[in-house]
Amino acid sequence: STESLVQATIPFEMGKIVGLQSQSRSQAETSTQVFLKSSIRNFRGADATSPLSYKAVMLEYSRPKKEKVKRRSKGSRMNAAQKRRMKLFTIRPEHQRYELFLPLHHLWRQYITDVCSGLKPTSSPQFLQQKLLKADLHGAVLSVVRSRCPSYVGTTGILVQEFKHVFKIITKENKVKVIPKRNSVFSLEMGGFTSFIYGSRFEQRASERSAKKFKVRGTIDL
Amino acid sequence: MAGQIKDKDAYQRLNYLYQAAHCVLSQNPDNVELARFYCSTQRTIARRLVLRQDPSVKRTVCKKCCSLLIPGVSATTRQRRKKGKIRFTVMRCLSCGHTKKLLNNPDYCLWADRPEAQLEQPPKLPETTNILSTQSFTCERAQPVDQCVLCPGKPRTVEGEAISQRGVDVS
Repeated sequence: STESLVQATIPFEMGKIVGLQSQSRSQAETSTQVFLKSSIRNFRGADATSPLSYKAVMLEYSRPKKEKVKRRSKGSRMNAAQKRRMKLFTIRPEHQRYELFLPLHHLWRQYITDVCSGLKPTSSPQFLQQKLLKADLHGAVLSVVRSRCPSYVGTTGILVQEFKHVFKIITKENKVKVIPKRNSVFSLEMGGFTSFIYGSRFEQRASERSAKKFKVRGTIDL
Repeated sequence: MAGQIKDKDAYQRLNYLYQAAHCVLSQNPDNVELARFYCSTQRTIARRLVLRQDPSVKRTVCKKCCSLLIPGVSATTRQRRKKGKIRFTVMRCLSCGHTKKLLNNPDYCLWADRPEAQLEQPPKLPETTNILSTQSFTCERAQPVDQCVLCPGKPRTVEGEAISQRGVDVS
């Protein structure tokens, strides 16, 4: 009976007072797994007992190796090599699922209507373009309209990461596509407006764009 | 309307990135990489435009690997003591192991909360109303993050308030 008590869903009124909500079953399971993984050292999931039975024990005597005393670096920041080694920003394949990014897209839509002060159909395209240049594009639905490489054309998906030369887009088929910005044109849909992004003019990091001034140039071609 | 707060776009962008990181983590608490990417973008934007981040935002981002620190999910929080009486709150990032130590001092007043910080620019009435409206916006957008139950001990709305607080600092 205690088990059923533990697993029972919290009634709505009580949840309101405490500030908690019951999760759905799958959500609760994933969060429990992640919690276990992060809190238990060397957590291997279900096969936690198997390495014990196969363990080979060395009976020789070996001198304990002296560990070299490394000089501690002064700063707490990582250098580029360490970052690359730790794979700070690569999304693991088990997280490359389209439905995980839908809430991000909804959040982005709210953000973009807020930035464009309501996104009314009467607002001028120039104003929207000015805002869009400084806005953040993570979470937007992008599609490739034109490209020098024809196999990219028609790829549609949610923009997950923006790098200096590359957009990472997750498609509905749960695949992360890496599309170079140079020589391709992207279209961006927001609340009835469609704007085109010329990738060759857009080759900066996502963070640099907010500080940079864009110049108007006449000719743009692929 | 947009010209009244300086760098309003950038602040909105920072706000969005912070919330996006929360949104990603609420979808799958294991997806630290993407949240980290958004937080590092947020930090580089703030660094490029020389914008000041609110301490409550700064304290939830790891200094070393830029990942979002949520107690129980991507960080552990412990109370430690040093030499008897002085107590610290120690936050440890679970992905890189970097620790943050914060002194427990109930009388401590943040610079942003002090009256001198507000007096740098004289407050104008129409501006304050404008800030209120943006506040409501931020709170609204914080809602999808509200729904997650990542750390039950801490009310989720704190972030939304913190971000709007930052908006107040600017004016």
